[in-house]
Amino acid sequence: MDEQALLTNYLIVGALLFGIGLVGFFSRRNMIVMFLCAEMMLQGVSVSLVAWGRYHNDWGGQILVIFILTVAACEAAIALAVVLTLFHQSGKLDIAVWQQLREDNQAAFVDRDPSALTPKPEAQWPKLVPAGIEPELDLQEVTHRSHL
Amino acid sequence: MFEIPILMVLIPAFPLAGTIVTAVFGKWLKHEAHWPVVVSIVCSCALSLALLSQVIHEAEANPLAVGWESTFELWNWTSVPEAIARPEFAAPADGAAALPERLPFVVNVTMRSDPLTSIMLAVVTFVASLVAIYAVGYMHGDPGYWRFFTYIGLFVFSMTMLVSVSNFVLLYVFWEAVGLCSYLLVGFWYEKPAAIAAGKKAFLVNRVGDFGFALGLFLIWTTYGTLNYHDADGIAGVLGQTRLAASGGYAAGGVATVICLLLMLGACGKSAQFPLHVWLPDAMEGPTPVSALIHAATMVTAGVYMVTRCTPLFVASADAQQVVAIVGATTCALGGVIALTQTDLKRVLAYSTISQLGYMFLALGCGTLVAITAGMFHLLTHAFFKALLFLAAGSVMHAMGGIIDMRRFSGLRKLMPYTHWTFLFGGLALGGVIPFAGFWSKDAILGAVHQRGHDSALYLALYWVGMITAFLTAIYTFRAFFLTFYGPLRVPHESGHHAHESPRTMTVPLMILAAFAFGAGMWLQGPGDLAGLLGHTPSLAYQAVPRAADHGGSHLLVMTISTIFALSGVGIAAYLYLGDDALATRLARLLAPLYWLSYGKFFFDPIYNALFVWPLLVLAKASDLIDTYLIDGLVNLVGSVPPWVGARLRSLQTGMVQFYALAMVWGVVVLIVTLLIWPAIAAGSK
Amino acid sequence: MNELVSVIGLGTVLLAAGLGLVLPRGAASGKALGAVLVAIGLGLFASRIPGLGRWGEDFVFYLLAGVTVLAALATISFRRPVYSAIWFGLSLVGTAGLLLFQGAQFLGVATIVVYAGAILVTFLFVLMLAQPEGQAPYDQFSWGPRLAGLTGALMVGVLTLAVLGVLENPDVAKRPTAPFATDELQSDILADEHMAHLGGQLFSKHLVAVEVAGTLLLVALVGTVAIVAQIRRPEHGGTTHG
Repeated sequence: MDEQALLTNYLIVGALLFGIGLVGFFSRRNMIVMFLCAEMMLQGVSVSLVAWGRYHNDWGGQILVIFILTVAACEAAIALAVVLTLFHQSGKLDIAVWQQLREDNQAAFVDRDPSALTPKPEAQWPKLVPAGIEPELDLQEVTHRSHL
Repeated sequence: MFEIPILMVLIPAFPLAGTIVTAVFGKWLKHEAHWPVVVSIVCSCALSLALLSQVIHEAEANPLAVGWESTFELWNWTSVPEAIARPEFAAPADGAAALPERLPFVVNVTMRSDPLTSIMLAVVTFVASLVAIYAVGYMHGDPGYWRFFTYIGLFVFSMTMLVSVSNFVLLYVFWEAVGLCSYLLVGFWYEKPAAIAAGKKAFLVNRVGDFGFALGLFLIWTTYGTLNYHDADGIAGVLGQTRLAASGGYAAGGVATVICLLLMLGACGKSAQFPLHVWLPDAMEGPTPVSALIHAATMVTAGVYMVTRCTPLFVASADAQQVVAIVGATTCALGGVIALTQTDLKRVLAYSTISQLGYMFLALGCGTLVAITAGMFHLLTHAFFKALLFLAAGSVMHAMGGIIDMRRFSGLRKLMPYTHWTFLFGGLALGGVIPFAGFWSKDAILGAVHQRGHDSALYLALYWVGMITAFLTAIYTFRAFFLTFYGPLRVPHESGHHAHESPRTMTVPLMILAAFAFGAGMWLQGPGDLAGLLGHTPSLAYQAVPRAADHGGSHLLVMTISTIFALSGVGIAAYLYLGDDALATRLARLLAPLYWLSYGKFFFDPIYNALFVWPLLVLAKASDLIDTYLIDGLVNLVGSVPPWVGARLRSLQTGMVQFYALAMVWGVVVLIVTLLIWPAIAAGSK
Repeated sequence: MNELVSVIGLGTVLLAAGLGLVLPRGAASGKALGAVLVAIGLGLFASRIPGLGRWGEDFVFYLLAGVTVLAALATISFRRPVYSAIWFGLSLVGTAGLLLFQGAQFLGVATIVVYAGAILVTFLFVLMLAQPEGQAPYDQFSWGPRLAGLTGALMVGVLTLAVLGVLENPDVAKRPTAPFATDELQSDILADEHMAHLGGQLFSKHLVAVEVAGTLLLVALVGTVAIVAQIRRPEHGGTTHG
């Protein structure tokens, strides 16, 4: 196997994973998805490290990836805790809620065209055979729980 | 008892120690703050007298080639090797070959003693002791009590150092130090705007003189290659034995004249000579003991001391000597005329001081040994009787509740008998009435000037100016005396209607000074032999200083004329001011223009204001406007760029986390392109 | 070199445009066009990378790489977060395959176990806990998709150019080649008893780092508990936003 070609190919695949992760991290607004994308960037780096380790016949690459796994686990735990905290405060996983860091005179980012939203389908609850009195169901409460 | 070097060091060391103790512990000493300074100055005075007796003995017993001197090097202050190419006059006679091509600039802290120094030390410390004791009573209860004595101690230290150092640089240093003390003490009551203004004026006018003095020192340095008085390190000092003993040791012609005129400018500033005399009357805003000590007896005579010290330099230039004499005579007459009409007792005395200092410079300008010793003689007697007069005036002021305007009080002789009698002694001495001290010294000056007048019309004219001023002196002195102590008893309401004689600490120094004002002249003229002692000073023992021939007959004539003038002056004053003052008023109306000029002090202040102060103020205002609008405008313009850029960049702060990450990635992209891709492309295209 | 720059540049532009289009953009159309553009861009990248030698190896590599990259693209372009997570799982499987292909057996398995088995499942738990109704309005819109696409594509293009351009750089080519450029020399990494070697390295040379990593895990555990323990119901004093 052409070791040099292998290295090159892996580095480019790693770059692609990293780049796609970046794009996702930049543009997606769901915090969970953003973390998925961050993990994807870590994957890109891991692929590159393993390729370099093989190319140089050095265990360091793989060992570093093991530590990346460890750190990624820690990061995931902390991140999920933070996400939960934020979700508790806003009731949304939307990152755009948290933009208080902007300058005073800067207009807040809002969805450009809320009317373009696809109309949300009515919740289709399974039809049960009536037994007794059907409780009054507040749709709003069911579909939009503001907090856990 | 003591070795001379030890005495030379101890004399300034005592006041310095007293100053430091008072400055550090003054706040806690409170009303006892005078003790360290008074005790140290009295000790210093005792040591000065011991030194004087030793010097008298040594100068007689072990004379050197030219006069007698003793130097004692303490430490090296600064040393710059090869500072100047050897000037022509670096070595007198044939000593030039022994000197290197480039001479070092060395300033050693060297103390010296010779008759001139030891006499000055004795006078300074003696008067300072009496004034300090007087001030214990005068300044009692002042909130700045300890501050006052700190300044006085510092002044005595500076003044004793000024006359003891043996180097022009150090002379300049302590010249400025006494100026600083004068500034601090004139502005002692800094709540008074007039005191602040007077201190500032004294400082600024002295700057003019000191600038000339500094230039003079530079010229001495480039001409003689050293600034030491004495011979040191193989280099002949400016006033050293080698140079004085040799012939042709001093530069002549234009250089000598310029050096002397620059030194004289410095002396004019410090000794309040025309045209720089304007600061001294204003300096009377300070406490009266300060006026007596600094602005009558000691600091203002520093100029006289300096010119006397530099006699060999002045002997080399007849033109400069004539300038000194003319300035002296002009100041003398000017001060006398102005003093005639002033109503403020202390200002009368201030103009009288200016006038008497003018006498001293007139004497120095004659250039003969007799004249110079006469000038120093007058310096001594003047120190006694003028300090006396000021302290007596201070006593009056103390009793009158701070009022010193003679129009507001009169007839105090019953109220203040001690002050009255001591003031009378001082007045007789100042007026030149035989046999009081002032008579002998003033007569010695006029005699010496008259002697020069034999072969020079200029000096003859100056002699008559001096003589007429002696007449004026008697008139204004006794005008002040009669207005203050005779006539109906009147006291201003500020005195609180319980005006009384001053306490013992104030009257005892007055009486001691009165004794000296009476007897010092006779004693120094006769058995004290001041002239003979001063003749041992190297600067005055220099053979090129003209020695006088016998002056018996003509001197007697001078004595007679001056006595007649003095007595007639006293008589006229008595005629005009004893009893009805209508006569004086009529006389003033008769001589209205002259009266107007004299009362307005010849309008020096408005003229100086118009010539110097206002143009400078306008210039300062213009600079201020340029600074405010042009310079600050430019700075503000530059300063407005970052906020402008920041306002533009502010729109990048969207608060979206992703945007910050995105910006970071752009930075990484730029780094990769510059570090990896661009070199690869550059290498590939080669 | 210039040819390389132009090919990669074109690929980058296409990738940027395609990525901008495939991201969620509300009701706007063009997702298919974006997918085509992305595919062409990736193809341009692929056209410049060297082959591995044998066609079998090439086939396996392209298969694994293709699955990984396409799953990654699907991760960022699907609107429902749950789908994204599942696609990310597929991408992880591809990555694990790539690692195995490199001979990193332990890492390949560990990626599946740790990421897909633990982290991803936790993410899914949270998603389902917080967002049981599926997609929310904010999942349907991206923040600045064109700018994000451009930046990501630029990053990929620049990295690729660096990797390929450095190889073409004559200065670099003169450097000593890699220690194991031929099949004859057996690599240490590819030797038997891979796990023993890796474990030996890990617990001898990097023992301190392992201990530190263990401490880090402990700290993260404590930190997570501390952060979550702070959560209060809004009516009890926590500040509410949004």
